[in-house]
This record gives sequence, C-alpha cells and structure tokens, in this order.
Amino acid sequence: MLRLSLTVRVPLRRVAPWSRSLSSQSPSLPPSPEKPAPRTASFGFRTVPEESKETLVKEVFDSVASKYDLMNDATSFGVHRFWKDSYVSSLKPGRRGPLRCIDVAGGTGDIALRILDFARENYADRETTVAVADINAQMLKEGYRRFKKTMYHNTPQISFHEANAQALPVEVFPDNTFDLYTIAFGIRNCTSIPDVLKEAHRVLKPGGTFACLEFSRVNNPLLSTLYDQYSFTMIPLLGTILAGDRNSYQYLVESIRKFPPQPEFARMIRDVGFTTGDDVDGGAWEDMWGGIACVHKGVKL
Amino acid sequence: MSGSARLLRLSIPLVRTHGFTREALARSVLDLPPSEVHSTPLSDSAVSALFGTGDLARKALIRAWLDDGICHIQSQPTGSTLREVLRARLEFNEPVLRHLPEAFALLASPTYGLPPLDPRPALRHSFNIADEACHVTGDASLQVRKPDDSDYSSSNHVQLEWYERRGSLAAIYTASELHQMTSPKTAYDFLDSLLTGSSNLKSSLNEVSIFSSYFVKSCVGIVKSSGIL
Repeated sequence: MLRLSLTVRVPLRRVAPWSRSLSSQSPSLPPSPEKPAPRTASFGFRTVPEESKETLVKEVFDSVASKYDLMNDATSFGVHRFWKDSYVSSLKPGRRGPLRCIDVAGGTGDIALRILDFARENYADRETTVAVADINAQMLKEGYRRFKKTMYHNTPQISFHEANAQALPVEVFPDNTFDLYTIAFGIRNCTSIPDVLKEAHRVLKPGGTFACLEFSRVNNPLLSTLYDQYSFTMIPLLGTILAGDRNSYQYLVESIRKFPPQPEFARMIRDVGFTTGDDVDGGAWEDMWGGIACVHKGVKL
Repeated sequence: MSGSARLLRLSIPLVRTHGFTREALARSVLDLPPSEVHSTPLSDSAVSALFGTGDLARKALIRAWLDDGICHIQSQPTGSTLREVLRARLEFNEPVLRHLPEAFALLASPTYGLPPLDPRPALRHSFNIADEACHVTGDASLQVRKPDDSDYSSSNHVQLEWYERRGSLAAIYTASELHQMTSPKTAYDFLDSLLTGSSNLKSSLNEVSIFSSYFVKSCVGIVKSSGIL
C-alpha cells in the first residue's frame, strides 16, 4: 500500500549545557554562571545556531523540490543517474532473497525505485520492500507522485514517512528491523551526522548493511580545481536560470565542501558501531569520479 | 584487530569445507563468540561492504590464508632445518589442496583485464615463503659489512647471494607446490630431491664461477700485455 504517513517529529536531543565556575575577585560572592556557548552547525560556509539549521535546510528543499530532478540532471549532466545506478547495483538487492530496506532522505524516491527495479529485473524479486523517510514533506510529495506512475503504487513494496533521520520514530522504525539502510546525497544536510549514524545502527538488523552515497573530497589537485570552478560558478548560475533560486544552490555547493573527507567519515561510521573495510579507496569507501561522489559502507555485526 | 580482519581470520578454517568463496566469508559470523554470534550468515551486500565486490572478496580471503601460511612457518620450532620448514608449509596446504588451483588462478587473473595473467601474486607468494623460511632457519647470507676497496666485490657478492638463495628456494618451493597439486603423495620426496639437487648445483655453479673469473682475468692480462689496451 502506498501511504504517506505523518509521524510525530521528535525534537532534536539537547545536551545539558555545561557550565564553568569562574574565580571571583571577592571570595564572598557566589560565582555567576557564564552563559554556555551556543551550539552551532555549518550551513554551507555559514555558521548558524544548531536549532536553526533544520529550518534553513527545510527551506532549501521546499524551494528545490519541484525542480530537484531537473537540476540534478542539468548540474551533473546526467552523471548523477550513473552514480545512483552504480550505488544500487553494488548493493545487489534481492540477490539472496527479499530485503527490508529503508531509504533515508530519499524524498523523491530515486534510490527506492532503483532498488525495487533492480530486485525485480535481476532476481524476479517482488517481495523486497523500501520505506522512504524524509524530513521534508514537499520532497516526499514528489516521490509519491513519481511512484504513482509505477507498478509499485498501492503495493506493500513502498511506503513514505515524514521523519527526522536523527530521530526516527521507534513505533514506525523499531530496533533491528532492516536489512539495508541507504542514504544518498542527504546526510550532509543533517545537523548531526553522528546522530544519523546512530539511528542507522539502531534500525539495522545484525548483519545489515549501511550504505551512504555522498559528495566527497577530490584529492587530485587538477580535478579539484576544475570541480571547484564548476561548482561555485555554474551550479548557482543554473540554479538562478532553471529554478530561480541562486541561494539554495549556493548552499548545496558549499555544504559539499563542509562534509568530512573519506577517512574521517569512515571513522565516524565505525565510531557508532559499524564494521567497515580498510581505510582505503575500495575498502571502507569507494570513490566515484575521483572522489566527486563516494559510497561509504558499513555492516552492523 | 579490525572487525573485517577478525572475520577474515574466522573464515580461514571454513576454507576446507567451503573453499575460497564468499560463502566462507558470509559464514564467518556464525563462529563469533557467543555474545556476538549471528544466527544467519552475512548477506551478499554485507560481504561486499566488508571485503569488496565479486572476486575481490575471494582474493582477500586467499591473501589472508596465505598470510596464515607465513605465520605457520614462523611458528616452527627454533633450530628447524630448511627441509623441515618447507615440508611444514606443504603440510599446511593439505586440508585445502583441492581448492588451491582455483585460488592461484584467481590471484593470477587481472582486475582490469590487462595483462591477461598477472604473475606478481605467485612470485610474491613463493618469495615470501622462501624469505620467511630463510629467516626462521637463521640464514646469514646477508652480512652487513662496510665496503672498502678490497672488500667491495665481496659485499656485492653477499648481496647477490641473498637474492640467489631466496630465488632458488622460491623456485624449489613453487615446483614442489605445483607437484603437490597433481601428486600429493610424492610431493615431499620431490621437495627433498630438489633441495639435494640444489645444493649440488650451487657448489657446481660456484666452481664454474671461480673458473670463469680466472679465465676472464687471464684474457684481460693477455690483451694488456699485447699492447692493444
């Protein structure tokens, strides 16, 4: 059954602010507590209060949702399709029987559709299911529309849920439920990447696979220069021309540069309890196109 | 030890029943300690995530097994002879002998199609065994000497001897291992015959080398005395 469910969004976990005691010039006066330093997060190259990043990102994706696929094609010359095809085919969903998959930040259904098509076309698997979770209702609406044109509409194979990747609702996404967790070009938009990874670890079964496709660090200096030039000039310009929104695409380009490099992200994946391959290209991660995109994988043991 | 390395170690005993396959890697989680053991083998995507897609995972398992073979050589008692060490390494092959031809063929097959065959893994395998065997038996063919004018040629000779020794042992072991894959029962006698023949060959070659150097020196002396140079 194709259903769009609204789930209660759990507020971001807040850590009790730590306080420092100050030495006072007059010993008789009690030390006045300092205001704790506000927690911040990066929003592209800007630093913003952590609480407001979610809202800002939401505004970006509300703005880009209707033209998301068009812009992806225009800015990457269609290469994003190849990356996503490669990403899904490396996971081989359905090879050893049906899987329960969760695709997070997958609002428009790109990856979910590829997973279901791959399982069906290669292994005649019509039992694999994908639960698409996204914090942005507009993106989910686009995904729902896309799936209405497919054979999966109104089947148990696909479901859509509005949910925060950092705090997936337990009643909808219980512990140790899924065989495969995918997140493609979404994790860099989350306020707290470790919280997303912890939730991924929670909902995966033992033996389940975490796979993240994301823009990453280009280590080749020449390619990096060309890529930077293209990203910071052409992509915001295309955003202005095609989508009428330069700032959103400026954010998207900046957010790529703020994402941790490959070894650091692999370490973050291991820190929450996943097991990965070695810290080399082809081990814990696989670069595509010199690191422009990268697939990180981990297994919950 | 990383998680994936731990699973590789757990996969090695499974090679005798499952071969160098992704199945052996997938079943490694069934042998974890009771607090961590899984009820079902790893999925295909999990094996790919940890060890690589397709045959890359199998190659990782083969390399882990070969490293275990090196550890087996290192565990030989002090004072073992070269013959005993190499025999022990051949014994290490026995439980998985029927899987070895495919394993070596897989290692020799290139990742990207060219060249058609990659001999480097096989060379590395036999040279590692030869090197480790020499180390365990206390081979002293590489003596550190300060080269001075009179000793320069002999320090070169020492370095060459180091390579010669390992090269010949690698060739002997490779021949014995190939023989073992086709005729396991006679492999050990074959190894013994090669080792005996090699020492005879070495002394013959030394004598030829000494005679040749005298001959060359004589020719040079004749040419110089004739006034041509």
